[in-house]
Amino acid sequence: MKKSDFEKLDEFLWEIPQTHRGDMRVPARVYATEEMLDSIVRDRSLEQLVNVATLPGIQKYAIAMPDVHEGYGFPIGGVAAVDARDGVVSPGGIGYDINCGVRLLRASTSFSEVEPRLGKLAHSIAREVPSGVGRGGALKLNATDFELVLRDGASRAIEMGYGTADDVAHIESNGKLDGAEPHLVSGAARERGHDQLGTIGSGNHFVEIDRVDTVYDADEASRLGIAFNSLVVQIHTGSRGLGHQVATDSLRVMTKVMAQYGIEVADRELACAPLSSREGQKYLAAMAAAANFAFANRQVITAGIRRAWQREFPDDPVAIVYDVAHNVAKVERYGDADVVVHRKGATRAFPGQPVLIPGSMGTASYLLVGQDASMTQTFGSSCHGAGRMMSRTRARNEINAEELRGRLRKLGIVAEAGSSKGLVEEAPEAYKDIDAVVDVVARAGIAKKVARFVPIAVIKG
Amino acid sequence: MLLRAATLEALFADAVFGMYAVMRDEETTSNTSPVTRTIAVDDSADTTALLVDFLNEVLHRAHVARERFTHVAFTRFEERSLTAELTGIAPASFEEDVKAVTYHEADVRRDGDDWTTMLVFDL
Repeated sequence: MKKSDFEKLDEFLWEIPQTHRGDMRVPARVYATEEMLDSIVRDRSLEQLVNVATLPGIQKYAIAMPDVHEGYGFPIGGVAAVDARDGVVSPGGIGYDINCGVRLLRASTSFSEVEPRLGKLAHSIAREVPSGVGRGGALKLNATDFELVLRDGASRAIEMGYGTADDVAHIESNGKLDGAEPHLVSGAARERGHDQLGTIGSGNHFVEIDRVDTVYDADEASRLGIAFNSLVVQIHTGSRGLGHQVATDSLRVMTKVMAQYGIEVADRELACAPLSSREGQKYLAAMAAAANFAFANRQVITAGIRRAWQREFPDDPVAIVYDVAHNVAKVERYGDADVVVHRKGATRAFPGQPVLIPGSMGTASYLLVGQDASMTQTFGSSCHGAGRMMSRTRARNEINAEELRGRLRKLGIVAEAGSSKGLVEEAPEAYKDIDAVVDVVARAGIAKKVARFVPIAVIKG
Repeated sequence: MLLRAATLEALFADAVFGMYAVMRDEETTSNTSPVTRTIAVDDSADTTALLVDFLNEVLHRAHVARERFTHVAFTRFEERSLTAELTGIAPASFEEDVKAVTYHEADVRRDGDDWTTMLVFDL
């Protein structure tokens, strides 16, 4: 892909016309500055976006956010809305980690109170919330609870004692996707998930304590309980092995049945079936169950963080600001049409809704709220993070763990990392500039900046 | 990971060992017991899908029982189906979490006298 393949629509919006390739059903659009586009065209994410533009039933355009990077089949940072009557659903458009997402908590304890006890607090959280390769948790679900978690998501975790009734009001879709059918989650997926509720996992997942260093919109910040210099906690994880297995199981089915429906895709990872088909409906129901598992996972992790926090600061309730998915498909209505919005590494950004954009450790993260333009331009979607720029292998080869630990210490950041490998893979230089990425969605009118956070403690595998 | 082997059976077996190389198993021998497992895969979409489906079954054993197989023998090997007898140890210790074997860039095909494919793992 070359920059000359694009038409510049405005300062932050570029379009690959439908005429670019004969099988495109709609144009492809990229939100980026020109400088970002120069970088984005270096990987294959935009070829993947063009492939997405060929999916049956896709509406208006395939969309890439400024944090877009190469994924499996479908780019990460991509959005595709497909006609719910005669379009397809593609597990690759959601990703393997179904309902990977971010939850933001706010503490009432001040930074000055926490600072002298930060190391102890971070260590205590790390003990309460297992992370790392193959780490299960203390909670082993019995058969009944497993079914109810898959059906009811966060609310079942709360019934089991992991939270308060008020918590679900601060979670996307109230922490439960309707239509979940637990019996469609395979035995293999259940085996993988049975001890994973309440665990972070490995890779780019983390718990992070942050200090609010900038407030852009005082009214919105106040509405969300955020103030300058106050403390927040981010949880970034998803449906763990259970969701991965649901995705693997579904891709296998879709790969086999596509030909029966006369569907050809440019990449096997875009395997799909008509939404109205038995396979399409089954996938949506299994995906909803996995998404509910993820909502429950972040709920149980929240309970672990509250336990650790309240051992040090007993009077702090540690409330939920919001919880958003960034790997999910949902049926939503735009104008007169119902569409299935595939968001893979993209955050829902309905007007007024909090949008959580984590950066890498050592840089910054953002709280925004969705704006009206998201509904007309991006099917109610925004970016989801900084966007990886350097592969994990390259990061391991080029970044020295001790140097990184020293650099984080100088920035006043406590790192509770289970492995040096896990630390260097997520080093700041492995990611794009979060400030520039968020600037694009803000200046494009998709979401409005409310506050910026900087990390003071990172807990990861 | 680019794989190349003289036969399809060898390609599939090498894919198993290549996956363990990515998972960087720590060659644990103490406190482990020998394990034998039969894995059957039926009705995959084609031979490329058969490889991905087979590896995902092997990976599943690593996830749920930390089984690492050191010998792979196929008792049935067809275009879209297979049965394998695998022997190895458990529990093994893995340093890297391979979460899924993807179809991304996978394409089992003839290249001269060899069979070859690319494999991409979700980490």
